[in-house]
Amino acid sequence: MKQNNSYRRLLLLFLFVFPCLVFSQNTISGKVNSTSGETLPFVNVVEKGTSNGTTTDIDGNFRIEVASMPVTLVFSSLGFETIEQMVNSSSVTITMAESAQALAEVVVTGLATSIKRTNSANAVASITAEELVGTTPPPTLDGALYGKFPGAIVNANSGAPGGGISIKLRGVTSLQGNTQPLYIIDGVYVDNSSLPAGLNAVSAAAAGGNDAQFLQDNASNRIADINPDDIETLDILKGASAAAIYGSRAAAGVVIITTKRGRVGETKFRFNQSTGWTEALNLLGVRDYNEQRVRDSFGEDAVADFIAARGQGRLIDYEEEVYGRKGFLSITNFSMSGGDVNTKYYASLGHNNEDGIVNNTGYKKTSLRLNLDHKPKDFLKFSFSTNYVHSSSDRGFFNNDNSGTTIGIALTATRPWDQLFPDSNGVYPDHANNSSNPLQTRDLVRNNESVNRLIMGGTATLDVFKWDNSSLELILRGGLDFYGQQTRAIFPKELQFQKLSNGGLNGVSIQGDTQNKNYNLSAFLVHNFNTNNDINFRTQAGLTREFFDQNTQLITATGLVASETNSDQAANTGVNQTRFLQQDSGFFVQEEINFQDKFIATFGVRGDKSSNNGDANEIFYYPKGSLAVNLHELGFWSDSSKWNQLKLRVAYGESGNFPPRGGLFTSYTAASTDGILGISINNVRGDGNLESERQKELEFGADLGFFDGRLELSGTYYVKTIDNLILRAALEPSTGFATQIVNAGEMENKGIELGLNATPVMTDDFQWDVSVNWFKNQSEITRLDVEPFNIGAFGATLGTYRIEEGSSATQLVGIGPNPGANGFQVWGDAEPDFQMAMTNNLSYKSFDLSFLWQWKNGGDNVNLTALLTDLNGTSADYDKIDLDPAGQLGNGPYRLSQLGSSAEVFVEDASYLRLRELGLYYNLPERFLAGILGGNIDGVRVGFSGTNLINIFDYNSYDPEVSNFGGNTPFTGVEVTPFPSSKRYLFHFTVNF
Amino acid sequence: MKKYIYKIGFFAFFMAAVLSCQIQEFSDLNGPEVDAFGENLTRGDLQDLIGGILYSSRLRLGTYYDDCGVIGREYWRFSGSDPRFTTDLLGGDNSVLDNNTFYITGPWASRYSSVKNANLILGFLDGQDVSGQFNAAEVSATKGFLKTMIAYELLMNLNLTYDNGIRVDVADENNLGPFVTRTEALAAIRSLLAEGASDLNNGGGAFPFILSSGFAGFDTPGTFNQFNKGITARVAAYQGDNAGIITALAGSFFNFGGDLDTGVYYTFSEDQTDVPNPLFISVGGTSASQARVVQPSFITDAEAGDTRLSKTAQLAAPITLDDLTGDYIVNRYSGNEAPIPMIRNEELILLYAEANASSNPGDAVLAIDAIRAAAGLGAYTGPTDAASLIDEILNQRRYSLYAEGHRWIDMRRFGKLDELPLDRPEDDVWPQFPIPLTENQ
Repeated sequence: MKQNNSYRRLLLLFLFVFPCLVFSQNTISGKVNSTSGETLPFVNVVEKGTSNGTTTDIDGNFRIEVASMPVTLVFSSLGFETIEQMVNSSSVTITMAESAQALAEVVVTGLATSIKRTNSANAVASITAEELVGTTPPPTLDGALYGKFPGAIVNANSGAPGGGISIKLRGVTSLQGNTQPLYIIDGVYVDNSSLPAGLNAVSAAAAGGNDAQFLQDNASNRIADINPDDIETLDILKGASAAAIYGSRAAAGVVIITTKRGRVGETKFRFNQSTGWTEALNLLGVRDYNEQRVRDSFGEDAVADFIAARGQGRLIDYEEEVYGRKGFLSITNFSMSGGDVNTKYYASLGHNNEDGIVNNTGYKKTSLRLNLDHKPKDFLKFSFSTNYVHSSSDRGFFNNDNSGTTIGIALTATRPWDQLFPDSNGVYPDHANNSSNPLQTRDLVRNNESVNRLIMGGTATLDVFKWDNSSLELILRGGLDFYGQQTRAIFPKELQFQKLSNGGLNGVSIQGDTQNKNYNLSAFLVHNFNTNNDINFRTQAGLTREFFDQNTQLITATGLVASETNSDQAANTGVNQTRFLQQDSGFFVQEEINFQDKFIATFGVRGDKSSNNGDANEIFYYPKGSLAVNLHELGFWSDSSKWNQLKLRVAYGESGNFPPRGGLFTSYTAASTDGILGISINNVRGDGNLESERQKELEFGADLGFFDGRLELSGTYYVKTIDNLILRAALEPSTGFATQIVNAGEMENKGIELGLNATPVMTDDFQWDVSVNWFKNQSEITRLDVEPFNIGAFGATLGTYRIEEGSSATQLVGIGPNPGANGFQVWGDAEPDFQMAMTNNLSYKSFDLSFLWQWKNGGDNVNLTALLTDLNGTSADYDKIDLDPAGQLGNGPYRLSQLGSSAEVFVEDASYLRLRELGLYYNLPERFLAGILGGNIDGVRVGFSGTNLINIFDYNSYDPEVSNFGGNTPFTGVEVTPFPSSKRYLFHFTVNF
Repeated sequence: MKKYIYKIGFFAFFMAAVLSCQIQEFSDLNGPEVDAFGENLTRGDLQDLIGGILYSSRLRLGTYYDDCGVIGREYWRFSGSDPRFTTDLLGGDNSVLDNNTFYITGPWASRYSSVKNANLILGFLDGQDVSGQFNAAEVSATKGFLKTMIAYELLMNLNLTYDNGIRVDVADENNLGPFVTRTEALAAIRSLLAEGASDLNNGGGAFPFILSSGFAGFDTPGTFNQFNKGITARVAAYQGDNAGIITALAGSFFNFGGDLDTGVYYTFSEDQTDVPNPLFISVGGTSASQARVVQPSFITDAEAGDTRLSKTAQLAAPITLDDLTGDYIVNRYSGNEAPIPMIRNEELILLYAEANASSNPGDAVLAIDAIRAAAGLGAYTGPTDAASLIDEILNQRRYSLYAEGHRWIDMRRFGKLDELPLDRPEDDVWPQFPIPLTENQ
C-alpha cells in the first residue's frame, strides 16, 4: 500500500516536471499570500543570482520567465521574512510570514496607522523582542530599556526587588507634572502609578522639613507588571513632534507596546527557563579600625569592646551580613501560538521568582496572556488581548528616615564589635548605638506590595469599501486596565523601636488598598486614496475617550494586640483615603501625503478636553506637521551606488501635560486634637485657573544608509520648549502656604541624538553587528515669573536643586565659600554631559554573543549616605586622605568639617560605565535534535547571561543610579541609604517545538 | 454580510453616543475647599475650623522647642538622621544657621499657617451675614479667641527671628505687609491681644465651639481672657514694661499660692489623626542616634536638693555624638500624650518677681521663695539689688521652665547670651534665626 502510493506520487511529479525539462524557456506564475491569508501586492520576485525579477500585482499575482527549471526564486517584501523557494512547477503559491525584525521597519504615526520607517519624519525608536529580552531577561520591562535607543535617561530608584524605575525621554519635561511616559499596550492606556505603602508613619522621613511625605516610601511603578517576554515591539515617541496625536497626555513621550500575536501555521510552543542568582553590585566595606581610631570616634569604653571583640574574632561586617546574600532567580516562560486564516492565537504563561540580596526581600510575578485574532469575513477583523498579572514584592525597609529605623540608616550607626545577632531563644538584643537593630528589622519587618491586574483590549477593523484607488477603514477600539494593589507593612511589637519601653508604638500595621480602573474607547476612520501619478493621500479622523478612577485607602494601626496584624486588633487606627477621578475626551484628524516615497508630508491636529483642566469643557488643540524627503528616491544615484539612503526630515508638534493631582484646589486637611476634629489648610495653594503645560517640539534629522544597509547613520537635533510651566513655587511662608501651584515659566530642552548601525563582517559562518548611540540634552529655565526657589532635596547645606531663570532645570546648588549673587554656589547638575551605548552582536556558527555597554558621562547626585556614615564614624574611607586639599584630614573628618560651610562634598559626580547586558548562547545543531521526539523539536538554545556584570564609577556609595524620592520627579539622584543595586547571573534553556 | 454591517453600524453609533458626552467636572475629592466656607458658614463648620487651629498650632512644635533648647544650652539634640542639630544649631566648626533649613522653615511656616487658619475664619465671619447662625456675642467671642491665638503664634515666630523681625499683617496672602522690627512687632502683638481681650469681654458666657482639654478652665470667653492676659504679661516682659506686666497679671490667672501647673496646654495623643508629644523620648528609646541629652551644666549648676532635676533622667552609660558626651536625658515630658504648656502659673509668678525686681524687691523675693519652696529649696539669701535678683530669677526660670522654650529667650533679652556655656571650642551661641529664604527678604 505504502509502496504503491509512493510510486503514484513519483509518477505524478514526473508528469509535472517533464514539460519543464523539455522547454528551454519557462514561465512561472503564482500568487503570494501572507500568513493571515491576505494577498500581497508589490512583493519583489527575483531569480536568485540574476537581475531577472518582477513584482506581484495588486492581487498578489506574478509571472516570471526563467531560463530553466528548477530555479530558486527569492521573494521579498517590507515587513515580511524573505523567502527563497526552489520552484520546479509553473504555478506556485507562496505564503510569506511577517517578520519580527520587519515590524521595526514600520513606525507608528497616527492613532490607527503606521508608516514605513524609511518614510518617517520622526526619530521614533523601535525595540524588537530580540533587542528587549534577547540578550538577558530583565527583571522588569522598563529595566530593559537601558542603552537601547538614544534620548532616554533610565534610572532605577533603588535595588529593591520588583522595580521602581524612572524614564525621562529627551530631558526633563515637567517640574511638577507627570515626567513619565504614557504607556499604551495594544491600544490600552495602562497605569504606571507608584503607590506608597505609608511607611512614613514609622520612618518619619518627611518630618525633617520635606513635605514629600509619600515619595520616600520607595514604591515600585506599575509598568513592572508587564511581562517583557510577551512583547513583540516597543515604539517610543520621545517628544511632542511624534506624540502630538496623543495630545494632552503625551508631553513626557509615549511608549507604544505591541504584544506577540499568533501566526498562521502549525502550533508552535516555546519554553524558556532561566535560573541564576543576584548579588550586590558594590558594597562599601568596613572602616579600617584600630584602637586609636576607635578611641577618637567612640570614646574609651568602645576601645575595650573593640579589643575584646577583636580578640574573640567577633568583628562582624554587618554590611556583608545584610547585603551579602546571593538571591536565587528563576524566570519561566511558556508560550503557544498558531492558528488558521480565520483565527489566530497567542497564549503565554510567565513566572518570575526572584529573591533579593537582603533576606526577606524578593519578587514574584505570574502573568497569563491570551491574544486572539479572528476574521469572520474578508472585510472584518477582530483582535483581542487579555493579560492577567499577579505580582508580589517584598521590598524591605530602606531609604531616608528621621527615626533611625530603616535598615540602611541603622547600618550607618553599626560598628563591627556591636552584637546584634539573636540569642539561642531568638531574642534580638537592642542596638546599643541606634534605635533599631538592623538584623531584627530585616528579619521581622514585612513590606509587601501585591497586585492583581487585568488588562484587556479589543479592536474591530472594518473595511467599509476597497476600490482600485481608494479604501476606507473603520477601526473601533476599547481597553480596560483594572487592578487592585495591596500594600502591607508590618512592624511587630518586639522590634527594638516598637517596644513601649523604648518609646515605641507597640507594633504598627499599615495596610493600603488601591482600586484602579482605567478604560478607554476610541473610533477611527482611515481613508486611503491613490492618484494615477502615484500620490497617496491617507486621511484619518477619530474620537477618543478615557476614564480614570483610582481610590486608595491606607489604614495605619498602631499598638497591636499580641502578634495580630489586623487593623482592628490595635489600640489606634488611622485611615487615609485618596480618590482620583479623571475624564478626558478628544478628537483628531491627520492627513498624510506620500509623493512616490520621495516626499512624505503629514499634518494633523488633536483637540482635547479634560476634567483635570480648570475648565473641563474647554478644548485645547495640539497641532503637528512633518516632512520627510527621500533624496535617494530622486534618482541622483545609480542603483549601483554605495549610497542606499539619504533622508532629510523635519517635524513639529505640540502636546500637553496636566496639572498635578489636586493642583486646581486650595483645600483643608482633616486632623484632630484631643478627639476634637479640625480642618487646617494644606500648605499648597492650588489655582482653579491652572492650565496644562504645553510642549512645542521641533526636530530635524537625517538618515543615511550605505553598502546595502550594512552601514546606517542617523542624526537628530531637537528643540523643545515647555510653556505654561507648572511650578510648585515657593510662596512666602507668612502667607500660611509653603508653596503654590502656578503656571509661571518656560523651559527649554535642546539635544542631539546620533545613532550608527553597522554590520562590519558578514560571512556564512560569522556575522558581527554593532550599533552605537550617543545623545546629549541640555535644559534651561528660560523664563521664571516667580522668585527662584530651592526644591527636591534636603536644603542648601547638603546640596539642593534650584529653579532659576537662565540655569539648567536640574542644577545643584548649595552653600559654599564663593556664592553667587543668589547666595548659593553651583556645585553640579544632575543632567549628564552625554550618554552613550554600544551593542555588539556576534554570531559564529551556532554561537551568539551579545553585549551592551552603557556609559553615562557626568551628571551629579546628592550623596547623603556617606555623610550619615561619617557622622557615625563608620565610613569605609573615613581615614583615607584624598579629599582634603590640605592633605591633613581623613575623608570622614574632612566631609564633616565641610558640613555647614560648603555643600561641595555632598554633590558627587555620578558618571558610570557599565556592562549592562551580556549574553552567550549556543543553538544546538539540527542534527542533534533530529531523532528526539520524532524530530518535532525545532530548536534548542542554551546560554548564559548577566546584567551589570562590570560597573565602573567613582561615586562614593552603592550605585550612582538612585533616587530617594522615587521616579515621578525630575529631581532624582538624591541618595539616603537606599536598597543597594544588584547584578544578575542567569543560565538559560530554551526549546521551541 | 448585511448582518455584520448592521452590527458594526450599531456599535459605531453606540460608541459615538458615548464619546459625545460632556466631560464631568469634579471638585476636590479628598478634602473640603477653602472657598466652600465663604458662604453659609454653619456652627458645625466653625467648630471644624477652630479645631484646625488647635491642630495646626501644634505642628512642628518639636522643632521650635529644640531650637530654643539647643541654642539656649538646655540640652543637645542628638539625631543620627540629621546632623544639623549638633552642627548648625550649636555653631559647630564653621557652621552657621541657614535660612532655608528645617529648623527655621518648619516652625515658622507652621505658625503662619495657624495664623492663616485664624485669619480665614475672621474673613468668613466678616464676609457674610452670619446672624442666622450666631448671635453678636458669639461672633465677638470667636474673634477674641482668634486674635489671641494669632498674637500668640506671631510671638512664637518673633522669638526665633528676634531682631530680624516678622510680618504682622498677613491677612491678605496676595498683599503681605512688610517685615517690622522687633519693637514694632511686640507692640503690634500686644495691641492685637488687647483687641482680643476687648472682643472677649463682649463675648458673652460661652464660645460657640468647644476647645481641647488643654484649655480646661479657660474655655469660656471670660476665662480665656485670663490666658490672653497671661500672654500679655509675657509680651510686656519682652518689652521690658514692668508696669505692663503687673497690670496684665492682674487680669490673668496669676495665683501666688496656687498650683504652679495651672495654665493652658497643648495636648497630644497617639490617635492617628492627632500628633504625639514631639519632645518625648524614653530612656529605653534613647540612643546616640535619637536623644535629647541634658547639657551637663544644668546638672552641675543645680543647688543640692532641687526637685526640678527630676525633669532629667540618668542613662546607664554616657552617649556621644559629634564630640558631645552626656549621660542625662531630658525627662520633662513623660509620654506621647504628655501636654506641653503654652503658659502656666509658675511662669506668671516668676514674671511677677521680674516686674518687681527693681521697684519692689521684697515682693520679688517672696515670689522667688514661693518657687524655691516648691522646688524643695530654702529661701533666697542672696543680695536683693535688681541685678542680683534678675540673676536669681533667670536661674529659677532656667530650672522651673526647663525644656519649655524659655532659657535662650530669657538670656537674650537680658543680654547674657555670652554667659551660656560652649561645649566645643568652635561653637557659637546664635542670637536669632535668619528670616526664611522664601520670604524673599
